[in-house]
Amino acid sequence: MNNAIHTENLVKRFRKVEALRGLNLTVPEDSIYALVGPNGAGKTTVIKILMNIFKTTLGYAEVMGRRSGELNGRQFTSIGYVSENQELPEWMRLDRFFDFLRPFYPSWDRDLERDLMRQFDLPVDRKLGKLSRGMRMKAALASALAFHPKLIVLDEPFTGLDPLVRDELIQGLLERAEESTIFISSHDLAEIESFASHVGYLEQGQLRFSEEMTVLADRFREVELTFETPPPLPAKVPVEWMQVNCSAGVVHFVESRFDQEKTNARIRELFGEVRNVTFAPMSLRSIFLAMARTGREEQ
Amino acid sequence: MNQIWNIFRKDCRHYWREASVSLALLAAFGWNDVRGWTRGEYLAAGIGGLFSYNFLSGLTDFLVPISWAFLVVRVIQGESLVGDRQFWLTRPYEWKKLLAAKVIFSLVFVNCPLLILDVFLLSKAGFTPTKYVIGLLWMQLMIVLFFLLPTIALATVTASLVQTLLALLFIALYLVGMAALATQIPSSDFSGPSDSLLASLFIGVCLAVILTQYVRRNTFKSRLLIVGLAAAILILLVATPYRVLVAREWPQLSAGQQQPFQLGILPAETSASAIAPPDEKEVELQVPLSLTGLSSESIVIVNGILVTIDAPDGLRWDSGWKSPGIFLFPEQKNTRVDFTLKRKLFERMQSSRVNLRLYVAFTLFRDKDRRQFVVPRDKFVLSNVGLCSAEPGYVPTIHCLAPLRQPSFLLLTTDMSAYTCPLGKGESPASAGELARGWSQNRGSEPAELGISPVATFNLYLAHSNGSSNKRLGDGICPGTAIVLSNPEPLFRNQIALQADGVRLAEYRLQPLRLTFGNVQSTSQ
Repeated sequence: MNNAIHTENLVKRFRKVEALRGLNLTVPEDSIYALVGPNGAGKTTVIKILMNIFKTTLGYAEVMGRRSGELNGRQFTSIGYVSENQELPEWMRLDRFFDFLRPFYPSWDRDLERDLMRQFDLPVDRKLGKLSRGMRMKAALASALAFHPKLIVLDEPFTGLDPLVRDELIQGLLERAEESTIFISSHDLAEIESFASHVGYLEQGQLRFSEEMTVLADRFREVELTFETPPPLPAKVPVEWMQVNCSAGVVHFVESRFDQEKTNARIRELFGEVRNVTFAPMSLRSIFLAMARTGREEQ
Repeated sequence: MNQIWNIFRKDCRHYWREASVSLALLAAFGWNDVRGWTRGEYLAAGIGGLFSYNFLSGLTDFLVPISWAFLVVRVIQGESLVGDRQFWLTRPYEWKKLLAAKVIFSLVFVNCPLLILDVFLLSKAGFTPTKYVIGLLWMQLMIVLFFLLPTIALATVTASLVQTLLALLFIALYLVGMAALATQIPSSDFSGPSDSLLASLFIGVCLAVILTQYVRRNTFKSRLLIVGLAAAILILLVATPYRVLVAREWPQLSAGQQQPFQLGILPAETSASAIAPPDEKEVELQVPLSLTGLSSESIVIVNGILVTIDAPDGLRWDSGWKSPGIFLFPEQKNTRVDFTLKRKLFERMQSSRVNLRLYVAFTLFRDKDRRQFVVPRDKFVLSNVGLCSAEPGYVPTIHCLAPLRQPSFLLLTTDMSAYTCPLGKGESPASAGELARGWSQNRGSEPAELGISPVATFNLYLAHSNGSSNKRLGDGICPGTAIVLSNPEPLFRNQIALQADGVRLAEYRLQPLRLTFGNVQSTSQ
């Protein structure tokens, strides 16, 4: 399988601040890749480097087989980019905006444009500056989908949107997912969980993990150990165990490399006899929170 | 092409208001310029009022370039090259096509209307525009190189109008600083690095900034280029060997070379007084010079004067080269050189006898293409000059319109005894051979001057060529007056030195002007 996006040891410095520290990221073609991470992790910086808005300080980034720094007008005929903080020409009416964009794209699909307009319920005769935030995001997404892009890059597209608009945006995206690779950064973990095929967790400019959603879901478990008497916590717990805490004879932790046999063996090794052990699957949100809290504690 | 047209059309739709205002101002400029050609309007220029020629001329001269700059900055910043949030950055824009669309917009809304106006103005003034195609295109090129190019460069390194205005403020402060610095550097106002070097540097940096921004969007590097240009000009101002340049441009007369005229330092005139009260910190001095030996075909322009004073105690003062604006005609017997000294220095030197040296850098002209004409009642054509008129009035002036540029060198000569204007009460006619001269020069050799209007308006003032004469020149220039018109041709440039040893500076000091109010006499001291 080819990669739509690939970075190697990507470093970006803004004066003294190092936003990215040797990022290695691979987004397979035809995947829906969600890049998650706390605020300031460097998600927007990665995307802006990939879109040739920022230059790299060190390292290498490739988008659709071309170095990101060499992306030019021609490549953008097959890349759709939408960002929450993108400035649109607010003075333009929506229909004029589409009229203006159409000649730029050889693959622009008028029927798809009309479908998207209808689907997103966009008021064509309104100026972009007069649209609500949700409407503006839908307009931006429609303008990024109407030419059948091979790669769709979305930077925090759901931030501040009401659930109905989010649902419409996701619906619109999913209907085109078969023909495109989607790379999305978001805080909206519940929504992402419902459609992402791959997920990467970025923290302090480094990728903590990057894998398929199913693998991730299998790998993380919330573990609860019940004891007859409260046990002493071992001095050293495995690095894969996160958020280890004990209260009234019950030990909780998050296992990040779950394998039932191995995890059970490790528990016995450290705690001896346990009255009851439960392994609960985790949502993406719970995984994200556990990762984020651990990251903060390590800081 | 499709993309260029698409962006151009979008800009036309968005910026039609700004473009309309700019076109209206240009039309107002044209209308007012035509008004200014009429001598009556020209003479009434000083009279105030909202619709006076003078007021509107000042206003449109200022507002037309401002409106152009505003329009161009807005259009360039429509697809801003500074920042990381613009929607167009991730759309299939090709930089060459984007730049082409912006350049075409500027040409369509700045250059084309200007060209149309210029053709109209030339026709209206009575000149055939087809004869001046090269000059008209030259004017357009100058506007592009020295107005549009820097404006576009500035717009590409700023994200908004506010940022552009701030940048302009910095540029204005830099220019003020440079001007202030230039006053402290001797000879810098007289000579300097060649205009073509500075122009090439300026144009090169503007182009580099524009290309850097459109190809790479590297604002930091582009701004650095602009700072580099400012630093380079500063270094040129400070490090230029001005005296070496003057010595190269005005070499000393070689050993075998005959001096084309003789100048000598005369004893001080006792009655001379300062025209304006000198600054308290400075003392004004005037050295009278005798002139002999200038042939009847020759005219001299004194381009520069350098004064040095050596006091017996070893103190030495040097004025640096200054432009005095002195003309020497064959019938002239003398002239004067003015300079100022710091009061403290003067007081230190005035009691002792000092050695005074004057270095005179001059250009010798030979009078050429003399042709006589008699001033008619109405407008008249002066060959190789333009359309002129001379109307009676207090000031003896010939008012001319010339296509594209003022003539390079032009001399009017008239025998004052042949003046046809009636003499005033108590005035006696001038004796035969007493001459009045009018001089006009335009140093550049370009096909046209930088500006908006292709019709150059200028006046030729006649004045006594012998500065010592006190006779009035009658009431202007009246019909029937015979005037000789000629185009002097520069022959060579040289430098001569004059010396007077053991002079007392106090004797050359101009007396401060005395102002009398009732019975109280006041002086500036």
